This record gives sequence, structure tokens and C-alpha cells, in this order.
Amino acid sequence: MDEISLMNNEYDTTQFIVINIGDEQYGIDIKYVDNIVRMQKITRVPNCQDYFKGVINLRGEVVPVMSFRMKVHLPEVDYTNKTRIIIIKLEPNAPVGIIVDAVKEVVTLTDNNIDAASRSSTNNDPSYINGIGKTGGTLISLLDLNVVISEKETA
Amino acid sequence: MDVNQYLEIFLDETNEHLQSLSDQLMILENEPENADTINEIFRAAHSLKGMAGTMGYKRMQALTHDMENVFSEIRNGKMKVTSNLVDVLFQTLDALEEYKNTIQETQDEGTNDNAALIKALQQCLDEGTGTVSEEAPAASSDAKEETSEAASANGDKKWKNIALQEHEINALKEAEEKKLNIYGCTVFIQESCILKAARAFLVFKAVEELGEIIISEPSTQDIEDEKFDFDFSLYIISEEGYDKVEAAIMSVSEIDRVIGEKVTAADAIANGEANEKAVEAKEESGASETAQPAREETAAPAAPAPAASSAPAAAPAAQGGNAPAKKGASKPVVNRTVRVDIEKLDVLMNLVSELIIAKNSLVSSAASGGQSGNSSNFNEQIEYLESVTTNLHESVMKVRMVPIESITTKFPRMIRDLSKKLNKKMELYMSGEDTELDRTVVDEIGDPLMHMLRNSADHGLESTEDRIAKGKNPTGSIFLDAYQDGNNVVIEVKDDGNGIDVEAVKRKAIERGTITAEQGENMSSKEIIDLLFLPSFSTAKVVSDVSGRGVGLDVVKSKIEALGGDVSVKTKLGEGSTFSIRLPLTLAIIQALMVIVGGETYAISLGSIDTIEDISENDVKYVEAKEVIHLRGNVIPIVRLHEVLGLEMPKESRDRMIVVIVKKGDQYAGLVVDELIGQQEIVIKSLGRYINCTSRMISGATILGDGEVALIIDANCLI
Repeated sequence: MDEISLMNNEYDTTQFIVINIGDEQYGIDIKYVDNIVRMQKITRVPNCQDYFKGVINLRGEVVPVMSFRMKVHLPEVDYTNKTRIIIIKLEPNAPVGIIVDAVKEVVTLTDNNIDAASRSSTNNDPSYINGIGKTGGTLISLLDLNVVISEKETA
Repeated sequence: MDVNQYLEIFLDETNEHLQSLSDQLMILENEPENADTINEIFRAAHSLKGMAGTMGYKRMQALTHDMENVFSEIRNGKMKVTSNLVDVLFQTLDALEEYKNTIQETQDEGTNDNAALIKALQQCLDEGTGTVSEEAPAASSDAKEETSEAASANGDKKWKNIALQEHEINALKEAEEKKLNIYGCTVFIQESCILKAARAFLVFKAVEELGEIIISEPSTQDIEDEKFDFDFSLYIISEEGYDKVEAAIMSVSEIDRVIGEKVTAADAIANGEANEKAVEAKEESGASETAQPAREETAAPAAPAPAASSAPAAAPAAQGGNAPAKKGASKPVVNRTVRVDIEKLDVLMNLVSELIIAKNSLVSSAASGGQSGNSSNFNEQIEYLESVTTNLHESVMKVRMVPIESITTKFPRMIRDLSKKLNKKMELYMSGEDTELDRTVVDEIGDPLMHMLRNSADHGLESTEDRIAKGKNPTGSIFLDAYQDGNNVVIEVKDDGNGIDVEAVKRKAIERGTITAEQGENMSSKEIIDLLFLPSFSTAKVVSDVSGRGVGLDVVKSKIEALGGDVSVKTKLGEGSTFSIRLPLTLAIIQALMVIVGGETYAISLGSIDTIEDISENDVKYVEAKEVIHLRGNVIPIVRLHEVLGLEMPKESRDRMIVVIVKKGDQYAGLVVDELIGQQEIVIKSLGRYINCTSRMISGATILGDGEVALIIDANCLI
């Protein structure tokens, strides 16, 4: 493991979109981001997972939209004109939107600026974070999108 | 000569000839003296041979040549058609089909010589014409056993063959650091399983609940596409013990066995590397094989005796691993096509020209716009445009429609084989094969239908002795009827067997703990029959290799429902049962009624709507504490859409309410809505993969003229 990371970290960089949720900053790997759109009318879908707010019309395509806050059990806040929906495509033809408080910037991190996330052994919840990025004195939690989007409920 | 451009034609025609051969053989079996049929078969076999020769498929040509020889003798009256002979001929057709599939995928006919089959044909020829053959047919079964033995000797611990990529190696090492267990295991699916991919998916799901799958061989994509034989291998990381993992896998039905053990990361990596070298070596030898096909060809048909590599086509499972698997990854070389009636295309062309005229007149009226008196003219043109687009939509849908004939043609043959295997006399009667369905639907319903027919043949029909004892016609009948019913197509599989024994089903359900004895008391017979569609439920006393393992009906149901259809059963003990599949005629675009409920807009498919009624609140009666209305002699349950959609009830109570009466088969329900907007043509869109509507009441969404999204209510789920 160590050998391989030593080999790779020389020039490997990844770009992340930095989003705000309350006071925290999260990073989303830019290669999964299809689009960032302003808040728009969301059609409620009855009887679905509660963190899904509904579906939106994204240029003729119906895209499900989830609230990041509800997914990670944070209190909901009112939408402002900074609220954005980030359209994620983990796989082609399967877009999903994530509502975030605001989108801040794009940062470029080299691999040696990324630390592995500490995972507490007592906690069985899947961790949404697969790394911590350091840039200019601030810390960015890097989201593991597969876990965020997966259907598994965190109890 | 470059023959690639003819490949598509070749495949098309081969299909046709094989189908006609199969049909004619069925006739021949019943009327061995029918000279017309014999001539027809001879012609088809002859053209097949010619085509294969022209395309340079030598093995295929050799096999057809021998088949043609047999027919030639029959035609000349030198030998008689026996049941045994027909069996061998059917096996030959299977083998030819195999060649065709391999060609379709790889452009190459593969390396299977089918020597045993050629020999069997030769033997039939010798026996039939009176010449004595020296060798017994035992050779063929020997060859079969040899291959399967060889496969199991080096093959059972197949996970050892998985080649690992760097990130997978990392994942394994990481897991080891964290003291998680790593297991390698190989899962074998029963060879009779029809929907392998679905079973594999269930295994994946089961394993993922306990841990993480690092890699699978073949890849998940290939497994999804059913590009694997009957086993697949996994590396799993889990905190649980191996027993638990194995138990989870075995809980999926139709899994034959699981072989696995705890491994260390180092082992796994070493295995992977060793295998990589082996694969390279194999590929090289494979390449040289294809490089000199001509030499092999000349040798093979002449001396077919000790061919261990070629098992007869009758054992497709043993054989599947040969040629096709080697090149499994490559995409089929031929695209899927639809043959379209030229008349349909003409209609389409006409409509497009009308569309252009409509556009032009709109342009000219827009240019002269502003002048008074033009608005009625304008509306007229909009209406014209509307009728043209509706017609255009219909015609395009028609182009996509194919008769279900394309899948039903193989059924008579299947029933014949089943009849022999089960030792029951049975006859298949089909009607409505010209009923048309969307191409995608037709492709999908083949397997479920086949399963239902097997079900009828195996469970439905009694054994011949029982039938005689009951005074029934000793030959059982199975009916496959298809017809159009409004916006739906109904396909019924009916048998005149014993029907479903509701009491037996109930007993079994209680025994298995699916329901309690108390629940059983209160269930209607319909509810009990519905239990049959639950996973792993079978009432057959004896498990046969045709069906009866309690799989299938659940898979059939989920497959049909995925297509937007549903399955229902009618049965009468002693007289038989009927399974009906109801499928939507078209996908994608439907006529819908737009309604408003609690301020939200919803669409209801017009196909399922019977009437719309204006009903006084006082007319609502209560039956078993449920709201119903009495309408023209029918008692119809009322569904308050506010409740099922999780909306607030309107505060002011109204004395009149709008009720949309929906119907499914002969059942009705009344949906209470706030307002009607009107009829509209809507394009159905999926809600996306991640969002999960628990009640399945929402079948999709559509985008309205103003850009808003409206959900489509699946009325079938509310009945």
C-alpha cells in the first residue's frame, strides 16, 4: 500500500468542487459532477425515501433530487438564493441531484494533500467521507458519493 | 472474397431456414410419409449448406451436408423416419443454431466440430439403409463426460483464476490490515436456471449485505448481460464468518453449490498472477488455432473419432464453455434490426410530408399575422398539426411493433421435448400469434412465457395414467392465446390439467411459515393463489429438472411488472388453470387524463380509465369499513387519492366529488380527485434509478408544457 501511494502521489492531482453545508466544507470529485443548477420547483414524490425531495425537470430529463442535509441527519434550512442543486452522474444515464447550501469554489488537491479519513471503530454507520483535503489552512471533507447516493439508510 | 457485407443476410436467412426446418420436422414426426414436408426439409437443408459453404463456414457446412444426406435417403424412400432419428435431427438443429450464434457474436464459427453428432447422423443413415455400423453411439456420451470431468478437476475453485488489478490488490491488503476476513468463492448456479443473471444479482445483493465484493469474474457487466456459464467467482471482504456468507448465498434459490474458503491477500495476488500467465499462453495457442483453420477442417470431418473437445449439442451446458466463452467480451457483430413492412414506411413517409405542409401553412399564417380574422384559421392549423403528430406517433409505434410470433415459434418444439422428457402426452394449441407488441417487450417476455409453459406442462397437466383414470383425454392440452384488449395485450397460458389445489397451497404456506394458520383461515382463495408468486414457493411434490424448485413464478412476475404489465391466475380444481399476462401495448408515449389532487398535478393513463363520475358525498356507503359506491349495478371501492399520496385532506367538505373510475380486467376502483384538467398526450419518463417509491403507485413522470414535472399514477396498483 505504502509503496504504491509513494509511486502515485508525485503528480497526481484531483479537482474538487467545494460546497458549504452550514459551517462545514465538503468536496465533490469534479469528474462526477454533470451540472450545477439553481434551486427550482421540485415535484414531490409520495412515499419515497424521506431524504429525496422529489424530481425536477432538467432540460427535458426527469432527475431525482435529494437533500444532503436530510441524508446526513442535519436540520433542514430554508433555501436561499445561494442554494444549488449539484447534478451528479456516477453512471451515465443515471443522474441524481443533491441540494447543498452553497457552492464555493473549485480546488485542486494533490494526493499528498489528502489524508485518509479517520474511521471510528465503534461506529457502524457508513462514512460519507473518504478523505480529508487540506488547502490553504482549511479542511475539506471529501465525499464518498457512492455512500451518499446509495439507498442504504443510516440508522 | 470479402463476405462481411453479406453476413447480416446470411444470419437472417439461416434463422429462417432453421425455423422452417424445425417446423417441418415437427410435422414430419407426426406424418412420416408426408412427401411435401420431406421435400421442403430437403430444400431448406440444401440452401443452408450452400450458404454456409459460400460464407466459408466449413464446420457448419459439414454438419449440414450430413443432415442433407439423411434427408436425401428419406426422400428416396430408402429409410424410414423414426422418433430416434427426429431426436438426432433436432440435436443437429441445436448445433447449427449454436454455430449461428457464435458467428453472430464473433464472425467466426468457432472450433466445435460436433463430431459426435456427425457420427450419430452417419449411424442413423447406416441403420436406416441397412448397412451395419461398427461403432456404438457410446462414444458421444464418453466425450461428454470427459469434458465435464476435466472441467471440474481444475475448475471448482475458480476464484483462483481471477486476475487482480492494482486497486483490487490494494483493497485486499487494506482489508487485511483492518483484520477483516477475505474469502474467495465460486458460486455454481443450477444448470436448468433460466434467468441466471437475476439469480446472480440476488447473490450479489445477499453478499453485499454482509460485506463488500472486491471483484467478480466475469465482471458484473458481463453477468448482467448473461455472458457467463453457470458459475462465477468472487473475492469478498467481510467481518462475518465464512459460514454466514455461504448461508447467505445458498439462501438464493436455484444455486447449486458454493465453494469457497478464507484466503490471505498474498494468496489471492499470487493466484491472480499465475493465472495471468496461463491466460496469455492460452491466448497464444488460441490465435494459432484460428490462424490455421483450413488444415484442421480437412482433418476433422475425415477422422472424427477421438474428439474429446467436441461434446454433442444436446449438452449445451457442457459445451457453453468452449468457443463462445473465449471471446465472450466482444460485442455481437450484428446490430439488432427490425424488419418493417414497406406499407408502414409508406404511411410514415406520407405523414412526414403532411407535417411539412402543416409547418408551411403555419409559417405563412404567422407571416400574415396581425390581420384580423386569422385566429380561427390559426386554430384550424394547430388542430391539423395535432392530428398529424398523433398519427405520426401511432405509425412510429407501429414500426416498432413486431408480432409475438417471433418468440412463439420455438414453443411447439419445446413442448415436444418436454412431452418426451416428462413422459406425458401433450399438445400445444396457439392462437393470436400475429398480435403485435413493442419490440422491446417481445424480446423480454420470451423467457417468462417459456417458464409458464413449462409450469403448465410439468405441474398443470396430470400424468397420462391419472388422466385416463379421471376419464379425461389422455393427451393434455396447453393453450397459448394472445389478443389485444384496449390499450393492453393479453397473453394467456391455459391448461386442462388438475388446476391449482388451493388447500394444498394453503397447507404448504403454513408449513413454510409464510402465513400463520389463522391468516390462512381468513384468506380468500384468490389471495392464497397469489402466494404462488412469492419467491421460493412450489407445490410440486416431486422436484423435477423441468420445474418445481419454487422459482420462476416470482421471477416471471417481477419481469412482467418491470415491463408495466401484470400477471393473474384463474383456476378450477380438476379442470385446469389459466395464467394471464397483461402488457401495455406501447411504451414511452400514452394518452393520459391530467388531474389535480391537493394542488399537485397527476396523470392517469387513459387506457385504465373506464368512466368519470360526479358523485354526491351521500352516495358513499361503507362495506367492511371501506368506502364504496354503487354504480350501475357494480359495487366499486373508493380510493381517496389525498390519503394514498400523503396529502392533507381539503378542509371544506364538498357535497359533490369527482371520481375517476379505473378498471383492471374486471375489477374497478374509484379515485377521488379535486379537479380535472383534461386529456393530454404525455411522454413517460423514468423517475431515475435512486429514488424508491415504496408503494409502486407512481409509475413514472412526465414533463408538462410549462416545464413542470407531473407524476403518473399507476391505477393498477390502487385496485
